[in-house]
Amino acid sequence: MEKYRDYTAVDFLNDESFLTWLNNPTQKENDFWNGFLKEHPYKKAEIREATLVFNLFHSREEKLGLNETYEVWNRIQREAKVSKRTVLLKFIKYAAIFLLVFLSGGISYYFIQHTEKPIHFELAETTQTGSNEARIILSDGSEVSLEKQISEISYSRNGQQLIVNNDTINQHSGNQKEQINKVIIPYGKKSMIMLSDGTKVWLNAGSQLIYPSVFINKTRQVMLIGEAYFDVAKNPEKPFIVRASDIQIQVLGTRFDISAYPEDKMIQTVLEEGKVTLKYSGKGILDKEYSVDMVPNQKIEFNRSTGESKSQMVDVSKYISWKEGMLEFEKADLIRAIKQVERYYDVKIRLADPMIGLYKLSGKLDLKDEPEEVLNVIKLTVPIDWQKKSNGDFVIIGK
Amino acid sequence: MYSVENKEDERLIWSRFLKGDNQVLSLIYLQHSNALFDYGCRFAVDKHMVKDCIQEVFCSLIRTRSNLGETDNIRLYLLKSLKRKIIRELKNVNSQSSLITEQDFPFDLRWSENMDDQLYDLDEEKKHLLSEAMQSLTERQKEAIYLRFNRGLEYEEISFLLNLNYQSSRALIHRAIEKLREIIQVPNKKINHVLFCILHQ
Repeated sequence: MEKYRDYTAVDFLNDESFLTWLNNPTQKENDFWNGFLKEHPYKKAEIREATLVFNLFHSREEKLGLNETYEVWNRIQREAKVSKRTVLLKFIKYAAIFLLVFLSGGISYYFIQHTEKPIHFELAETTQTGSNEARIILSDGSEVSLEKQISEISYSRNGQQLIVNNDTINQHSGNQKEQINKVIIPYGKKSMIMLSDGTKVWLNAGSQLIYPSVFINKTRQVMLIGEAYFDVAKNPEKPFIVRASDIQIQVLGTRFDISAYPEDKMIQTVLEEGKVTLKYSGKGILDKEYSVDMVPNQKIEFNRSTGESKSQMVDVSKYISWKEGMLEFEKADLIRAIKQVERYYDVKIRLADPMIGLYKLSGKLDLKDEPEEVLNVIKLTVPIDWQKKSNGDFVIIGK
Repeated sequence: MYSVENKEDERLIWSRFLKGDNQVLSLIYLQHSNALFDYGCRFAVDKHMVKDCIQEVFCSLIRTRSNLGETDNIRLYLLKSLKRKIIRELKNVNSQSSLITEQDFPFDLRWSENMDDQLYDLDEEKKHLLSEAMQSLTERQKEAIYLRFNRGLEYEEISFLLNLNYQSSRALIHRAIEKLREIIQVPNKKINHVLFCILHQ
């Protein structure tokens, strides 16, 4: 650290560690440079200048799209006289998995044949959750409202009886078809559902889960809009499949979290335990399905507009703490945290300046408090202040 | 960006490829295709041509596999062969280009996307000055800056790609930095505000 004491902006820009910090910081660089700034506050001006020069020089990049990446590789293979298409597809699939698991930071693409046909509850995708009432809709169309802040629903083995917050409801399954039930949880509420196979699902605020009251088909399929944490009961004969937006997650028995809110560009999957296969149904010319096996503690973020995915090893507890009423962040963008607070309390929080959203936030937020108190805690870690408008909306301003 | 810890992996991956492992080539391809594509587009406007050249780089790897040596820097090897191929191709296509020496080959250093963001509200005058200063850089200066700040290359690697010695490639970047600093150092309330924000992210 000593050598940096007499550094000028130019010296900083010549330093590998400094550049890594700006370009692609790891925990190590962050700790080091934040510590350095704290100890040598008089270096701030030089570092500021170096940062601005860096940002000026860091120019916009062209990217190969998914299709183009595939197309060029295809041509290479053809020329290399590997003619069998299936072999080729396998190549890329294994390469991509290898890349995802063993190397960090790379963008990868995977290609496999389309195998399974989508299941039947397509209609659900169009229904919006909004700020409706929390309720469960049974297969005959009748609705039971869920008045508690955190509702508990549990099914009997045969799916004919369910307990909703201590009330017992009977539901008849007349024929051989699956009886579809649906739970809608608006912003500001949460729910825990135990399905007939013993699988537990924690449904986060602003989410919906659609599932059969009893699983009679070859696979156990449910559909999710929003975020949920799954603790899937083991049953090797009947794989459990979660469909969320463009992705499908197939498991035998495991614990994981999926966040796929319609308004978010990213679909995020975090695996806590066991093994899951993540599949993504591609759009466009190729119309292929890509799949990857995840390992515990892995997080995969899927960008639905570009089809790119990013993999990372993470501390899983930070991603599932919401089910205990806590939000945990590590260098998360403030805007992401604010979105979660909005969903949890069903309030509107506006940023006076979009730039504020880029502040990095680390730490725990206890959601048992009122939103005002949560904002006060955030205020301690980033230079912001907040106001409450007469209509109940919050506005965050920079300090 | 690229980290030094990957060096061992690189050596391993490359030796697997040399031994005839084709699967590992797709790994190399996936890891570098975007960087190659972006670098290529800095020389050539025609994206199809850039893709063709990337294809050619990998095909010639396969063809010449038995003649290739060890390396722990696959990326540098790929960037170098792509640049060579693109410049040759450009000279073939355009007779005017054929007169340009490699030193003067145009390199497109685009105005940084960070600058167009709301993130920096630099006033128009300063923006103009900075953008002018960027455009007044020599073509090789632009390339050196790109390799340093976008690709995160070290000076040795930059000198290899530019056919310069270590000192000259350092000097190229140094002079470019100084140019911008002169403009930046004119006191400006707005700029200071912006910098404050960057640091507090």
